[in-house]
Amino acid sequence: MKKNTRKGAIDIMLAELLFTVFAALSVIGALGLILSRHPMNGAISLVVTMISLAGLYSLLSAKLIFVLQLIVYAGAIMSLILFIIMFLNIRNEDLPDERFRWLYYLGGAVLLVPVAQLMIKAAKSLPGTEATIVGGDFGSVKSVGLVLFKDWLLPFEIVSILLLVALVGAVVLAGKRRAES
Amino acid sequence: MIIDYLILSIILFCIGILGVISRRNVFTVFMSIELMLNAANLAFIAFSRLHESMDGHVLAMMVMAVAAAEAALALAVVILLHKHKSKLDTNVFSLLKG
Repeated sequence: MKKNTRKGAIDIMLAELLFTVFAALSVIGALGLILSRHPMNGAISLVVTMISLAGLYSLLSAKLIFVLQLIVYAGAIMSLILFIIMFLNIRNEDLPDERFRWLYYLGGAVLLVPVAQLMIKAAKSLPGTEATIVGGDFGSVKSVGLVLFKDWLLPFEIVSILLLVALVGAVVLAGKRRAES
Repeated sequence: MIIDYLILSIILFCIGILGVISRRNVFTVFMSIELMLNAANLAFIAFSRLHESMDGHVLAMMVMAVAAAEAALALAVVILLHKHKSKLDTNVFSLLKG
């Protein structure tokens, strides 16, 4: 019994260490996104953020979302964005003139810091639990799928219609040019 | 603690808002919106772990689907605008101004 509690304490310490590493990496990636001038550097920083968020999801024992974050976000969406950035062949002189962006950062920070403090204060009033790994079926494909198809069937169908509309819209937007010429 | 995850999510969301309001590059603005969606996802997953129910996972999957649809459409619009104006400045794209 005593051995078990010591093992639990070591597990919690390891989880907190991993949380600190992933949280620092994700904040650094987000800051790199908004501070870097060229969108390519920003996109690579955002990939760092997304991969560390996937690590945080695995710490929260969301196994399916961990995999989906790596495949859909860090894989599909970010490679699409990187592909488009490289496709447009952006040079330094094509970028907008952002000489005064430090002023905008300053003003935005002045606006946002009180809002963030208010929200953090609200979050701290919630009841907290230790973020230990939940074993068993929590977050696995089977249980999430059961919840999805039992309780969330109508929203799921609406999302499928949304994806269909986005597909049609992308085809219309991309095909317009060819129809004119 | 779960609250640390929520605080991280708030910080990431605020960094995303800062990117949207202070940058003029279309791609950076777009990726900041993606960052805000990711922060919301993190809050969903953290609340789902707090209550040990899996509704938050389902909501996070739906946010991912919305983000994928948004990425497809927004990138198509950016390519069209770049073809017309060959610029990436959000101030140039003010076609609806009266």
